[in-house]
Amino acid sequence: MGKVKSFFKSGRFVSLVWIIGIVLAWEIAAFFIADVFHDRMMNSKLPYLHSIIGTIVGNFALLSMACATTLSRAIIGFAAGALVGFALAIFMSLFRPIEKISYPYLLLSQMVPILGLAPVVISIVHKVQIGSVTIAASDITRVIIAAYITFFPVATNMLSGLKSVDADKLSLMFTYAARKPTVYAKLMLPFSVPYLFSGLKIAAPLAVTASILVDSLGAAGGIGYNMTYSLYTGTYSIFWASVLCSAAMGILGYYAMVLFEQLFMPWKRGSSKKGGR
Amino acid sequence: MASKTFSAAMGVILPVLFGVAIVVLWEHQAFHRLLNVKVLQLPLPSRILSVLLENTGKIIPDAVITLRTAVLGLLIGSSIGFLVAIIATFFPRWGYGGLTVLSAFNAIPVVALSPIMNVWFSSPSVAKTAVVSIVCMVAMSVNAFRGLNDLKPFSLDLMKSYASGMGPVFLKLRLPNSVPYIFTGIRINVASAMIGAIVSEYFSSASNGLGFGIRNKLSTGQFPLGWAYIIGASAIGILLYMIVVTFEGLATKHRSN
Repeated sequence: MGKVKSFFKSGRFVSLVWIIGIVLAWEIAAFFIADVFHDRMMNSKLPYLHSIIGTIVGNFALLSMACATTLSRAIIGFAAGALVGFALAIFMSLFRPIEKISYPYLLLSQMVPILGLAPVVISIVHKVQIGSVTIAASDITRVIIAAYITFFPVATNMLSGLKSVDADKLSLMFTYAARKPTVYAKLMLPFSVPYLFSGLKIAAPLAVTASILVDSLGAAGGIGYNMTYSLYTGTYSIFWASVLCSAAMGILGYYAMVLFEQLFMPWKRGSSKKGGR
Repeated sequence: MASKTFSAAMGVILPVLFGVAIVVLWEHQAFHRLLNVKVLQLPLPSRILSVLLENTGKIIPDAVITLRTAVLGLLIGSSIGFLVAIIATFFPRWGYGGLTVLSAFNAIPVVALSPIMNVWFSSPSVAKTAVVSIVCMVAMSVNAFRGLNDLKPFSLDLMKSYASGMGPVFLKLRLPNSVPYIFTGIRINVASAMIGAIVSEYFSSASNGLGFGIRNKLSTGQFPLGWAYIIGASAIGILLYMIVVTFEGLATKHRSN
């Protein structure tokens, strides 16, 4: 297995070289636009990567506040959506009629552009009052859409995990006269954890995207708002800094799930062949 | 046998009943009371349907624009993705590393991509198509790479024993092997292409397409028409998906699995 280890190392090395290559390509392209073609639109088209990072450092307070707004709503929505998706998958595997009713809709909803519903939720949530504590409508919208978009991949992947448990293992549990809760705790749930994570990995960047979309469609804060507002006012340095931040958040969401996966399933480290449906 | 047909029938009847129940509850304003929403904000299904029928003349041209963006972007993006997968297959060490880095790009939100493309391309339709192409690239390259390289055991050894070079191995073994994987990539891309097209229409300077319709109608208070546009977008998504599934069935019919 020493071979595998060395390949893993060299794989990291290859990725690193690629990232450096992309950064270099970006800088060279920016150089050509700015100093060879003397494009006046350089600041909007492709500013130097180092100058964008400079902007991020210079406006750290503004950008980190905006990122915190967007990310926290995305995380709440993601957690809620993942929980509901997880619960529905278990219900569906426990009760066949529930599966029969909801599975076609789960499939159907994957073909429907979910983000197309964002303006609808915005238009509905506007006027809803929420108890004594005032929560901004845009916050609720962000959470709802992030939850909604998380829900489907988690539910479908978890369900396919629960359904692909070997029949032999199930009959073994049957011979032990194991009860349903025991079967789920000892066999079904541990077995479907990899499937759950492949759903979570799909959903995490989507939840961030959803939150950003709501920012830019109708909220008064967050990184998406910064993005559209700076475009509107022509402050391209902030625009590019926001774009970089939102890309970083999406990638961060994905790798957070990869990290969780490694924490929960240390035995799976390295091999990531097992896919979803 | 009878129980099997019964169970299959229930698989159709139950979801349909559920759907009908939702529509009936919606029509009788159950959700309005539950969510404390006015009929004005959440139009009734009957009203949406009649508005949809009245405005087909408006919605269909917009749908054609969105469909064109989505399909063109899907084709361009998938082709580039496939090309990347081929290059990665011929140069495995550096290509595979490149693919993993590329798949991180998949996590970049469409919302961030769309304004950049608007700055890069002066033509709104080119910008929109570019967004969809980029969105579709990664899923195809990852799936196609898997299809070109997850070969049946010993098949590569067999080809080697025939003393066949890289070219024949690619044409006769890898390419046929990748067909189901390519369709998986396209199926994933249909959904992302529709999302990409609609979201980029939210931000585009061109005032056409279903995405623009949805946003514009809802923000100007024409809620039934906005919902009619959403139905149109969903219908296109489902249609595209079904076309791909049909082609997939035709192309993989002779395969046992």
